[in-house]
Amino acid sequence: MSDQVRSDTRLSSVSRDVRDQIADLQADYIAALDSQDMKGWLASFDENNSSYFCRSKENEDEGLEVGYMFDDCHERICDRVKFVDEIWAGTFEEYQTRHFLQPTRCKSLGEDLYSAQTNFTVMYTDDAGITKVLASGCYDDEIVVNGVARLRSRKAVLDTNVVPRYMVYPI
Amino acid sequence: MDARVTGGMDLNWPEPGVCDAVPYGVFNEREVYDREMERIYQGPTWNFLGLAVEVPNAGDYKSTFIGDIPVVMTRDDDGNIYAWENRCAHRGALVIRDSCGSSDGSHTCVYHQWSFNNKGDLIGVPFRRGLGGNGGMPDDFDMKENPVRKIRTEDYKGAVFGTFDWDMEDVDSYLGGDSVVNGHVKRIFNRPVKVLGHARQYIDSNWKFYAENTKDPYHASLLHLFHMTFGLYRSSQTGGVRLSNDWNSVLFSESGTDDEKAMEEIDDAHLRTFQSDYSLEDMSLLAGRAGEWNDNTTLVILSIMPSLVIQQIQNTLAVRQILPKSESEFELVWTFFGYEDDDEELTNIRLKQINLIGPAGMISMEDGESSVICQQAISRSRNARNVLQMGGRTPEDQDHLVTESTIRGFWKKYRELMAY
Repeated sequence: MSDQVRSDTRLSSVSRDVRDQIADLQADYIAALDSQDMKGWLASFDENNSSYFCRSKENEDEGLEVGYMFDDCHERICDRVKFVDEIWAGTFEEYQTRHFLQPTRCKSLGEDLYSAQTNFTVMYTDDAGITKVLASGCYDDEIVVNGVARLRSRKAVLDTNVVPRYMVYPI
Repeated sequence: MDARVTGGMDLNWPEPGVCDAVPYGVFNEREVYDREMERIYQGPTWNFLGLAVEVPNAGDYKSTFIGDIPVVMTRDDDGNIYAWENRCAHRGALVIRDSCGSSDGSHTCVYHQWSFNNKGDLIGVPFRRGLGGNGGMPDDFDMKENPVRKIRTEDYKGAVFGTFDWDMEDVDSYLGGDSVVNGHVKRIFNRPVKVLGHARQYIDSNWKFYAENTKDPYHASLLHLFHMTFGLYRSSQTGGVRLSNDWNSVLFSESGTDDEKAMEEIDDAHLRTFQSDYSLEDMSLLAGRAGEWNDNTTLVILSIMPSLVIQQIQNTLAVRQILPKSESEFELVWTFFGYEDDDEELTNIRLKQINLIGPAGMISMEDGESSVICQQAISRSRNARNVLQMGGRTPEDQDHLVTESTIRGFWKKYRELMAY
């Protein structure tokens, strides 16, 4: 990466105020998921227009769109909340997650839209109390920032090409 | 008697020919697993290796497994697909180390740079004549006698199978020739396919718990609440099961065909599966495109033993490859596909409906878990037996979905191959 590109996408290339709002969004997002609060997860997305994709790096690198989760509109994100909270309820073994994030890149896309890249590691703890790594990867986001930050689109790309067991909750 | 000596022969098997129960020892004993790798995976079976379109050009390769044995499939200049064990003929290192790629037609082991062609023949040995008169291979060393271990392959309508048994019948016969089972294979592979992507999950369970699951139409409306809730699949629908060569099977159904009396019985039973009144914000997930195959079939699960599941659920198409890793672990590899001639709208329908399947799938997430909780439960149950009597006690074709008939077929063939 050239020095020019690096400086244009450094976190410091956007204002402290914007960075704070994005940091709040990221914190709210993982706090919601780590307390299995799907409605809180939903609240992180722009209700007018948003999408969520969770896919493996293997597919991403090949330019294949297939995802573990493919929510290409806000309605589908709402439906995912309903699946987990109501339809699947009581049928899967619940597991505790812990998300750990590290922002790496941020850039203005004009007006109130920003792109951001954030590394993540997600640990999970099963009923037996054993903790393992669920996934490691990077969020590739477009974020609307106007007093409050909301996800316009989130792509969670998992380096973890083989996931343990199964996934109920989004990453 | 010590199980290590008997390899599962001393398990509490029912009388010969009885297949409505099996002892749990088959699911958690290393000796049974080792015997499976010998008698099933290296025995008279065809194992799925991949889709032919995954190696479109000469020199392309894909590494995968037959059982837990690493293998490679490659396409040669002659247009045919070959496969061989991914073990250098020299000292045993992996020849191919990545999951797929392209080559110039030679595959070189990194360790001592022995190289092999697409067919697995040895074509290069560095320092074969020595260096400055020193070393080198003996004069009688014959390149032709040192290929990698070759695997017989067949590209069957775009699905590539491999076997270590060079005397095997062809794939068409293995799938049952004119059988309904093979008819469903031909229906799905009726024109050129294109890969949409992959998903992989590692499941702490014996591979056979999952194999049973894929042959079980009875669990689908009880475990998979999404199916039931939105009427994609209910045990009350038109459907059935068919067998070929005992252990290959298909289960199929048509959504929207619920038998009213059966629905009332489901309602009366107060099963947790029956929830009405749900609707989706985005109904396009379920809308899909009807009549893609000029029939009313909305669900097809083909279980081709020992390693392959081919599925159509609504408009989704996938092959699932079952890769045993130990007696209590397997990896499940999903390859999602569509057809080469799909229009953009249909591709989008498939991408969206893939939400239903895979490791986070609305109707397949639970299969991973059900296999795990079976494995967890049987730690000290080697001679206790399960119960496989839904829909009768024998393997047979049936015109309904309330059955374990196809699981009985699996165990019938399994006992035969394993000589239990």
